[in-house]
Amino acid sequence: MSISMSLFSPSTHLPTLSPSSSYPKPHFTLKPCLSLRPKTPLFTTRASAENGAGAAAAATAVEAEPKVPEPVAAKSESSNGSAGPAEEEVKVVSLFEDARWVNGTWDLKQFEKSGKTDWDAVIDAEARRRKWLQDNPESSSNDNPILFDTSIVPWWAWVKRYHLPEAELLNGRAAMVGFFSAYLVDSLTGVGLVDQMGNFVCKTLLFVAVAGVLLIRKNEDVEKLKKLLDETTFYDKQWQATWQDETPGNPK
Amino acid sequence: MASIALKSFVGLRQSTLENPSFTSQSKPISSFPSSPRTFRVLAAKTSPKVAGRNLRVAVIGGGPAGGAAAETLAKGGVETFLIERKMDNCKPCGGAIPLCMVGEFDLPLDIIDRRVTKMKMISPSNVAVDIGQTLKPHEYIGMVRREVLDNYLRNRASENGASVINGLFLKMDSPSQGDGTSPYVLHYTEYDGKAGGVGVKKTLEVDAVIGADGANSRVAKSIDAGDYEYAIAFQERIKIPDDKMVYYENLAEMYVGDDVSPDFYGWVFPKCDHVAVGTGTVTHKGDIKKFQLATRNRAKDKILGGKILRVEAHPIPEHPRPRRLAGRVALVGDAAGYVTKCSGEGIYFAAKSGRMCAEAIVEGSENGKRMINEGDLRNYLEKWDKTYWPTYKVLDILQKVFYRSNPAREAFVEMCADEYVQKMTFDSYLYKRVVPGNPWEDLKLAVNTIGSLVRANALKQEMEKISA
Ligand SMILES: Cc1cc2nc3c(=O)[nH]c(=O)nc-3n(C[C@H](O)[C@H](O)[C@H](O)COP(=O)(O)OP(=O)(O)OC[C@H]3O[C@@H](n4cnc5c(N)ncnc54)[C@H](O)[C@@H]3O)c2cc1C
Repeated sequence: MSISMSLFSPSTHLPTLSPSSSYPKPHFTLKPCLSLRPKTPLFTTRASAENGAGAAAAATAVEAEPKVPEPVAAKSESSNGSAGPAEEEVKVVSLFEDARWVNGTWDLKQFEKSGKTDWDAVIDAEARRRKWLQDNPESSSNDNPILFDTSIVPWWAWVKRYHLPEAELLNGRAAMVGFFSAYLVDSLTGVGLVDQMGNFVCKTLLFVAVAGVLLIRKNEDVEKLKKLLDETTFYDKQWQATWQDETPGNPK
Repeated sequence: MASIALKSFVGLRQSTLENPSFTSQSKPISSFPSSPRTFRVLAAKTSPKVAGRNLRVAVIGGGPAGGAAAETLAKGGVETFLIERKMDNCKPCGGAIPLCMVGEFDLPLDIIDRRVTKMKMISPSNVAVDIGQTLKPHEYIGMVRREVLDNYLRNRASENGASVINGLFLKMDSPSQGDGTSPYVLHYTEYDGKAGGVGVKKTLEVDAVIGADGANSRVAKSIDAGDYEYAIAFQERIKIPDDKMVYYENLAEMYVGDDVSPDFYGWVFPKCDHVAVGTGTVTHKGDIKKFQLATRNRAKDKILGGKILRVEAHPIPEHPRPRRLAGRVALVGDAAGYVTKCSGEGIYFAAKSGRMCAEAIVEGSENGKRMINEGDLRNYLEKWDKTYWPTYKVLDILQKVFYRSNPAREAFVEMCADEYVQKMTFDSYLYKRVVPGNPWEDLKLAVNTIGSLVRANALKQEMEKISA
């Protein structure tokens, strides 16, 4: 199964930028009574199979869920770039498929390795799925809801995998740093948000804002924090601008 | 009264002046071209009575901001003129209003087309979370048609004595003398409906002006209010088959993801007999149609076979204008720039700011008996910023943290599955008040949020490895 996965992935990221540029804009404009269906001609001009978003919408307008065997998908991959694949094929590639992905979640039984779930493989699989979806956004469906929740992967699996000092940061220390930074940001911007609201949600948000940044990458912390600070104060300035010309003695 | 207001105003200014970054900003702003106002009357008590008539105030624009302002003015004894260019204007808008607006503005229930009790938030990987699970039986988000709401508010202003004029405001002349009492002269084209489009040019003398004329405000232009950054919002009204409509009966959807918008969300909101599908962006305005198509694609199954009834687009302000008042002219609603980040909510804030500004005028003029001055209008600004600034700020932070990237959005949606988060979110949305949280729950929330963010980021790193 992972073979078919890797068949999918290599080409997925290449054309991500193309849909926007190759997009035939005029088509989409203010036509008052355009129905959702007859979109198909719009996409035939495209060369690659990966402009999932629109293509899927158009091609699958009639049947709810096209399930077409994989080999076809592989074929359309190989023709990547050259003469546009037929629409039938376009529709195939646009749905994520993996034998371990069953009813909206990863079938953990298939991830078993010597009696234990191989969480690393689950993380890998999910990363691939998300990557795929990023390039080929899928329609949401009420009949086939996504049930997978990253929190089912135990925390130690993440820690083990990213056996980094970050793991340590993760518990406690980051929280502390983040929390106090939040207060620091708060007092620096001079707005007294934390005090004013007396509300923990705000504190939490500030805390999240800072901690989130801390956790992304350690060495970029400073830069990111600076940027964040700038950004937050920017909004404040926009609000305070109207009070500017009120300096006493201003002839205005 | 006046001295109190003045004092607290000074207090506000001092605290902001302590902020170094703030003072460094002051230069470009104060270099605004000086308006003809040469001095300001500082104390309201010295302001003269208006003789033989009541204070005259014009409200430009008959949206929620204008309608609410005009009603309050008229009720407060001010001679009020409400100028709206198009009486059946159907402002491009999602039309979602918080529950508290219904009570605070005494809205009749029949103007609410739908009561949304389920709000689905859908992540880039299509994890869908219903964030309305904690709603109590009487709680809902109201969906209105703007032509209905606006018309209703204008009528109520009219019933209370405001003169509603169907006219296009063109420009205004500031008072010729800086004595603080000379009138503003408004130029507008009046339509009487019958004349068949070609209106009659007219002028109107008033003592004060409320600019409620929306994002492309001409009033703002005429007082050099400066510009704001704006988002472009795109929306299609789609009539979907009846069997599909059942799903949207009392349910709204919000889609997040780089595909639907790099910095906002895409939505499907139920309207009277159709749905509104839309999205918005500040940073990639040129790609808006692509985002719209992506939004439609994500909702594809649920709107299949729909017919597009109408396509609309409109700017949404991102932050207030550099200047929100000058002399006896104040801006409210979108003209001032009062739309929240993150949720893009503006109807309630427009109506509230209109009312608050009108209240300041009624109070400052002692029910229309005295002339008002800039200080009176500043009371409105000060009160506004005090009351709502934290709300705007929180939503700004939220947007920055969670709409930034797909991993952040995944984490956001994961978080929203938490009942506690839902309760807090809805309480603050529906009632515009912040309830103190439960410290233990807050702590849990903080830990969970970090957990979600860490996992999403870890997956992102993994995704990057795949492409590398
Ligand atoms: C696509 C979209 C979706 C949105 N969805 C929501 C939502 O779901 N919920 C929400 O709360 N907010 C939403 N908003 C924001 C909301 O629409 C605005 O914040 C709100 O309408 C502001 O009200 P207002 O009265 O200040 O201005 P407007 O509603 O813009 O009203 C201005 C009025 O002034 C009139 N006017 C303008 N110029 C003149 C002139 N020169 N002379 C005379 N009259 C004039 C106009 O005809 C108009 O009636 C949305 C916005 C957009 C663009």
